This record gives sequence, structure tokens and C-alpha cells, in this order.
Amino acid sequence: MNSLRRAVNKLNLSRFRFYFQMGAFLLLVYGGYLAINIGDQLPAFSCVFNEQRGGSCYLMGFQHQMALPWKQLFTGRGIGVAIGLLTFIGFFLLLNKAWCGFVCPLGTLQDWITMLRRKLRIRYSTYGEPLFRKLSVIKYVLLALLILIPMGMGNSVFGLPRLNEDFSVPFCMICPGRTVLPLFNGDFSQLAIDFSSRTKMILTALGMAVTGIFLAGSFVKKRFFCLFCPMSALHYLFAKAALLRLGKDGAKCTRCGNCYRACDVGLRSIADDVTSKNMVKDDCMMCLKCVEACPEEGCLKVSFLGLPVYESTEAGFFKRMGKRANGK
Amino acid sequence: MENERFARLGKSTMRHLAMEARETLQRLADFPDNPAAMSLFYQFFSALFTGNHSLPEAKPIIGVMCAQAPLELIHAAGATPLRLCSGAYAYEQAGAEFMPAKSCPLVKATVGMLHVNRALWGDALKSVVIPTTCDQKKKSVDFLTDMGFPVYALEMPPAKESDVARFYWQESVKQFALDLGGITGRKITRQSMRAGIGKVQQGSWLFRKLHELRRTDPPLLLGKDAMLVTNGWFLMEHDSWCAAVTQLIAELEQRRKNAMPAGKRLAPRLLLTGSPPVFPNLKVPLLVEQAGAVIVTDEVCSSSRLLYDAVSYDEGTLDEMVGAVADRSLKPCTCPCLTANRDRLRKIMELTEKFAVDGVVYHALAGCLPYEMEQRQVGKALSAAGIPMLYLETDYSPEDLGQLSTRIEAFIESIKARKRRK
Repeated sequence: MNSLRRAVNKLNLSRFRFYFQMGAFLLLVYGGYLAINIGDQLPAFSCVFNEQRGGSCYLMGFQHQMALPWKQLFTGRGIGVAIGLLTFIGFFLLLNKAWCGFVCPLGTLQDWITMLRRKLRIRYSTYGEPLFRKLSVIKYVLLALLILIPMGMGNSVFGLPRLNEDFSVPFCMICPGRTVLPLFNGDFSQLAIDFSSRTKMILTALGMAVTGIFLAGSFVKKRFFCLFCPMSALHYLFAKAALLRLGKDGAKCTRCGNCYRACDVGLRSIADDVTSKNMVKDDCMMCLKCVEACPEEGCLKVSFLGLPVYESTEAGFFKRMGKRANGK
Repeated sequence: MENERFARLGKSTMRHLAMEARETLQRLADFPDNPAAMSLFYQFFSALFTGNHSLPEAKPIIGVMCAQAPLELIHAAGATPLRLCSGAYAYEQAGAEFMPAKSCPLVKATVGMLHVNRALWGDALKSVVIPTTCDQKKKSVDFLTDMGFPVYALEMPPAKESDVARFYWQESVKQFALDLGGITGRKITRQSMRAGIGKVQQGSWLFRKLHELRRTDPPLLLGKDAMLVTNGWFLMEHDSWCAAVTQLIAELEQRRKNAMPAGKRLAPRLLLTGSPPVFPNLKVPLLVEQAGAVIVTDEVCSSSRLLYDAVSYDEGTLDEMVGAVADRSLKPCTCPCLTANRDRLRKIMELTEKFAVDGVVYHALAGCLPYEMEQRQVGKALSAAGIPMLYLETDYSPEDLGQLSTRIEAFIESIKARKRRK
């Protein structure tokens, strides 16, 4: 058991993650061809607009449910909403934020764009940490909007007139998952502006703009879109209870900052916080590159239900870095 | 007249240096069962200091005056880094001309060494890199420039926590990387940078293995030898240092199998922190171990702080690697010249626990104000954890040997008594 653990800790986890992401992408984008459906409440952007998907993103169903008149929420329909939410939480608790780092097709796509940039030998841009903290508010605003706008459709809030039906699933309309993921099955129909009503026109035009920003942004900044993702905000509400965890033993940390530099979403707490045990913060996507970059024995640890899965080790660090020094 | 005096000073300094080095080496060797591989280091230091103090063969040479200067870059620019920090009393006396009587002996000795050897080293030393760490090193920039050395002041921030400090240092190191290309005539490339990082990382990996062998109970290597090994890192040619350390590690592994520890079974395990002991000034480690304790680990910039931390990079672009190297030499640094130096306390506490330390020896070179000033807070943290600390303020002169050894012996006896009571 110990020798197995040692072997795992020496792994090049990024390579494993690359293949895992590829598998998850194939499953979620093309699974439909094999009649696979792993669930309709997935905590990842497996877009419903993609006909051949192998499972569906929870946000679409969630927005639909939020559009129910409030009275109905306390009838039998409310049970459906609750079951949906519980299923979502169940899925999420299993993998925690690793849904973002290992499964989400939109995240994978951004990592591929990063790889392309890397192949072209264009350097990535870096930003100071305070900027990230400011931007991280946006996703909560989006989360609030994707709940409040549908509610405004089903109910008259403060006596205001109800929003029209064209506001249905507002976040999906601006989400780059809707425009980009169907492309992988040759469906270009979402890549358009809908002129049938003013609301739809504005939303789909916004969607097109966001798609452009998504592609350009993730080329320059690693995991650009994840900073604004309302799914990530929804995740974070439950992250403290998740089974898969990323922990830190602060006493062993030298604050060398290797983990911070490896972090695609620029979380400084991973390097500077030496008191918290739980390192999964707001923007974290559990790509676990920090664990790979840590040279301190047992400082950063990934565990599932308290059992160690992967942890930083001296031997693993020097093996991985030694290979790179030799140009591999 | 002036020249004659200089020639005389040079001659007498070299004579005193050789005597001093021989005596220290004698005392280093004067322990039972020194590892055979240590003789490689004894021989190296003996050859270097008892003949002419000459520069290494491999040229060009870039001298560095502090652990803060990133060696990776110097290797990447195709040069040989050479540590200039000197521990020689003979050089300190030569340097006394330039600096106030109460200033740091290490900086004084370094300035003196460069002064005495400037004719001999003049052209071979392509640059003297001085990171602007403590005040005394900052001030030596001017003296050494006046002496005619090509000094490079590597600007370092006085703090490390803020983004501003980090970016300042990164920019400063990036500029250094560009300038190094001009100094050596070899531009730093992606490949050479990767190889440079690899070289230093190899050293750091070997050091960590040694570190681990000192952790065993009883430890397999004495602190005085470990200090000499790490002193060798800056002075010896990279490959020969790695080969010698590999040999030492193999021998210690063998000794572990044969149950042949370096210290006695119940010898007090001590941690050494404070100003760096640099050969030939191994006064404190030698006195401590002659008195029967073992220095199992240290927190000094001539040893663990120099070699422990390791760089990692993600995409491996030149820009990123240079930034990563800059981070490595600033972020984990626990030098007291930085403000808000809580990390030093954390590091010491972590080491005392990891190495099952019985006591701490705090070595301050008289005139090294930053270390003298942090003595109180370190002592307080240690006493809260129930670990005794001995504070020693000393310099390079042999005058206080008697007094020091009395204090050290008393400290070690009291630890032994504590251990017996437990």
C-alpha cells in the first residue's frame, strides 16, 4: 500500500488530468451517440443545446425551475425542484471543484486553447492578486441574476409587471457553452443573433460577444472564463461539505510561492495562508497543479473521505522537475 | 610607499589566512570516525586557502556576495558563480581599513579579501554581484566600486509579502538576466535557463538527502561537516561538488546500515540559527560539537537557506522561469533584513519539531544588527515552546574561544540534565 502511494505521489498528475479531461469531454459532448446520459443535474457545463450530449448541465433546468410561480413551489412541483437540487449537490459533493478542473467541457476547452498558445510560444499574461478578488464578485452577481430574472418571469415582484417569456434561461443565452459546444457536433445554429424579439436579440448578441471574449480571453489568460462562472459560485456554496478535499499543513509551508505561480486562477491564499486547513477557495478548480509544484513533503494533500489520494512529496517534485530540466 | 605597504599587507594576510585555514581544518579532522568522503572537502579547502587564494579554473567568473543572488541565472549565462562572503579573520583585519570597527566581520572580511586580491583577481572576476540586502552589503557597493571592481548592485526590496515587493524583485532579476548576457557575452536562452535551474535543483536535491540523513536519531553527519559541505557549494566547481556529495551520501547510507552514527546516542540535538558560519570561521559549530552535542539542522544562509528551496515553473517560457527563480530567492527567504519576518520563526519551529531538537544555538556576528535584533523574538517563541536557546555574540577573532566554550559547555550540560530528567 505504501509503495503504491509513493508511486502515485510521483505521478505527473497534469498528464493524467489531460487524458481524464479528454475522456470526460468525449463522454459529455459525444455520449449521446451511444445513448449515454449520466444525469441532468451535472455540476459542469455539458450544454443542453448540444443534441449528442452525454449528460446535462444543471443550470438550464435550474433556471426553468426558478421561473415557476412561487405558489407552485410549495406543491408537488416543489418536490421536483428539491430533488433536482439534491441530485446536483450529490454529484458535486463527490468531486468537489474537480468538476471544473477535470470534467467541465468548457474548462477543458480553455485548457486546450492554453496548450495552443503554449505551442505558439506566446507567454501568458499575469495580473496582480487584488484584481482577481475584485473580479470574483461578478460570478455571484451572475448567479443572482440567473435566479432573479426567471423569478421575475413567473412572479410579479414588488408589484412590477412580469418579465416576458423571451427572458427564459437568460444565462444560457449568454453562456459560451451554448454557442461553442454544439460546434463539436457540426451544429452551427447557435452561432447567430436571434432577431425575433428585442429581448432575444439583446441576449443572443450578448452571447455572441461573450463567445468572442471567451475565445480571446482564454488565449491570453489561463481559465479566463472560470473567473466569471456562476456555476463555480453555486459550487462554492457547498464546497465545505465535499468529499474530495485539498488540504494544507501550514507548518510545513515555506511560502516559496511555487503553488501560487502554478495556479491558473491566481489564488494567492494557497501560498500565503498557513493557518487554514481547507484550500479550496472561491475560484479554485482543483486542477491540483499546486500539489505537483510543492516541494515540501506532505504540505499539500488531496484526500477523499479523509483517505489520502495524492500529496506533495520531495521525491515526486524533484522527479517531475528533473525530467523537465532534461528537456522532456 | 603606499604600494610597499599594500604588498606587505597582502603577504602577511595570506600567511595568516593559511595558518587560520590549517588550524580550522585540523580541528575539523580532529573528530573520531569522520566520513572518508569528507576528506574530499578537507582537501579542497586546504588547497584553496593554504596556497595562493586563487580563483577557479572555469571562466568567466561571477562573484556573488549573498545567498540572494540567483545562481541559476549565472549558470544559464555560461559563467561560474563564486561566493565571495568570507569567514577569514586575516581578511577581516585587512578590511578593517574600510569599515567602522563595530561593523559586520563578514562584510569586512569580504571587502578585505577583495582588497588584498585585487591584483590577482582583477580581470578574471567579471562582476561582483551584491544584492542590496543588509545595510553593510549595500554600503560595500561603493567601496568595491572605488577599488575598481565591476560591481553589480542587484536591487532587492526590503519586504516580501506585498505584490509590489514581488514585482519589484522580479523586474530587478529580469534586468539582471539581461545584463548578465552582456557581461559574459552569452545570452540567456530558454534552454540554458532550463539547464541552469536543473543544475541548482540537482544541488538542492542532494542537499535535501543530506538534510534527511542528519535527521536520523542518532544523526549520521556532524554539523561542522555539513557546514563545510554547504560552504563548498559556492566555491567548488558544480560537478565536482555534486560528485563529492553523492559519494558522502552513499557512505552515510552505508553507515546507517552498519549503525555507525556520528554523534553519541544521547547527545543533545541542536539547531543552529543566526549569522552564517563561513569557513574558516566554523568556531561556533566546532565548539558546540567538541562539547559533545550535535548540530542536526540549521537555519543559516550559508547552509539550509542557500540550498533547500527549489524552483518550479509551469510553461517554461524564459520570462516565466526567470520570474520563478526570482520568487525562489525572495518568497521563502527568512533573512532578517526583510521586514515582517514571521516566516523565520515558523521555519525554526518547524525545524525544531521535525528534527526533534533539544536546544537552539543562536549565532550572531557582532555588528550583524538584523540578527542581533531578532534574537529576542526568536528566544521568546522558543521559550514558549519550552526549548532552551543559547545566544552567542561573537566575531572572527580567536580571543573569545575560552569564554564561548565555557558558556557552550554549560548550556549543553543543562540540556543533558533535562534529557536525563525526562
